[in-house]
Amino acid sequence: MTNLSDRQLLKELKDRLQERSKYEQEIKLLSQELQEVTKRFKESEALKSHFISNISNEIVNPFTSILGLSKSILSVEKNDWKKVVSMVALIHSEAFNLDFQLKNIFVAAKIEAGEVVPNIAKVNIRNVIQTIIDSFSLVARKMAIEIEFNFNIEYGFGKNFYFKTDSEKMKLILSNMLNNALKYSYKDSKVIINVTADEDFLTIDVQDFGTGISEKNQKIIFERFKRLDSGINSINRGHGLGLSITKALLDVMGGSIEINSKKGEGSTFTVKVPEAKNVVDGFSGEGNDIFFDDDDEIF
Amino acid sequence: MNQYLQHFLYPSTLFASKEPYMVKTILGSCVAICLWDPVAKIGGINHYMLPNWNGNDLASPKYGNIAIEKLIERMVQLGSRRENLQAKIFGGGDLIAADRSAMLIGERNIRVARIMLEEKNIPVVASSTGGRKGRKILFFTDSGEVRHKFIDKRTY
Repeated sequence: MTNLSDRQLLKELKDRLQERSKYEQEIKLLSQELQEVTKRFKESEALKSHFISNISNEIVNPFTSILGLSKSILSVEKNDWKKVVSMVALIHSEAFNLDFQLKNIFVAAKIEAGEVVPNIAKVNIRNVIQTIIDSFSLVARKMAIEIEFNFNIEYGFGKNFYFKTDSEKMKLILSNMLNNALKYSYKDSKVIINVTADEDFLTIDVQDFGTGISEKNQKIIFERFKRLDSGINSINRGHGLGLSITKALLDVMGGSIEINSKKGEGSTFTVKVPEAKNVVDGFSGEGNDIFFDDDDEIF
Repeated sequence: MNQYLQHFLYPSTLFASKEPYMVKTILGSCVAICLWDPVAKIGGINHYMLPNWNGNDLASPKYGNIAIEKLIERMVQLGSRRENLQAKIFGGGDLIAADRSAMLIGERNIRVARIMLEEKNIPVVASSTGGRKGRKILFFTDSGEVRHKFIDKRTY
């Protein structure tokens, strides 16, 4: 061992002390992070139980109406057929809503299980959007909301515009956007859907003139189970999953979503999706290239 | 070699199987953990993008802490015993090197893997992590073997 001078010894000690305090700092940071995570978990657990009570209402209520209404139809007098039409309309709207909510819940479960993968095909975007609009047309009519659809893509003459993407995910994203727009619109208003495309991106805006979202709330609406009006007295239905699903699906497709909203003036949600490539980077679809390059390392 | 079924593992998803599968995936700052049970010959792999779940989004395997829990759960469901599992860790490169503000996602992803696996007493038998390059890996679920290759800069 070499002998250290006092000065060297002091320096060494000082260094070590400093190093130690660095570690202590790090530990402090880590434990802070841990506390934060624990807090989040607790919050989320509370939200989850709220969600479950919420969801059972979402499912049980429509079913009760459907059962009740269909029973009434069965016992209706023949000359009263006009009554039947309105009851069937109610059944349809309850069932439609139920179907929509269930789809969302199942997709959420799939996302959380890590089983959602892109499923790419050439998609006729105009058709897909029109289908979704049609499916909501009864809801819109009931609230006297006009859905305006502007398809601003010029694509050859008389040709359809195709875009490589995942049509099922696209449909669910659009349904959620449109559902929200209608849900938070006032009666006798308008929802505008604008579609544009450039080289690589498809952009869809859904604009409503409804209640709007304050700036503070714009940040939290994407959180799962979060609803701005989650009180017992809330007028609006829903489970607060819609936007978090939309975001997760967009994640899978490499897209993004933005809000532009002013309280009291309505909101515009803009979704932007890149055109999917057939080839996942580094792998051709055939998969032959992956067979053993000589420079593979083996672990 | 053709008896292998193939699966491409997308980010934020996970995969496990008793059948002999060849799972391919590409990693940048993402991390993939390959779990293998040499007794039951079951292999599973995840591919997460961020270290910890923020508590707001869906609790999906996009997040390391969730992806690791869920992968182990899935392996156990398929019939693995926790104490037989062994792990290999890949990825966590620092691709966005020019931009330091990327907050070292890769490094934090690796750390979550190490911490959680240690906590669960799952030995890490091999790893290739960090660095400045992306990786392409092939994982064979029946043998636990991983073929690994660096690729040039790509953002994944």
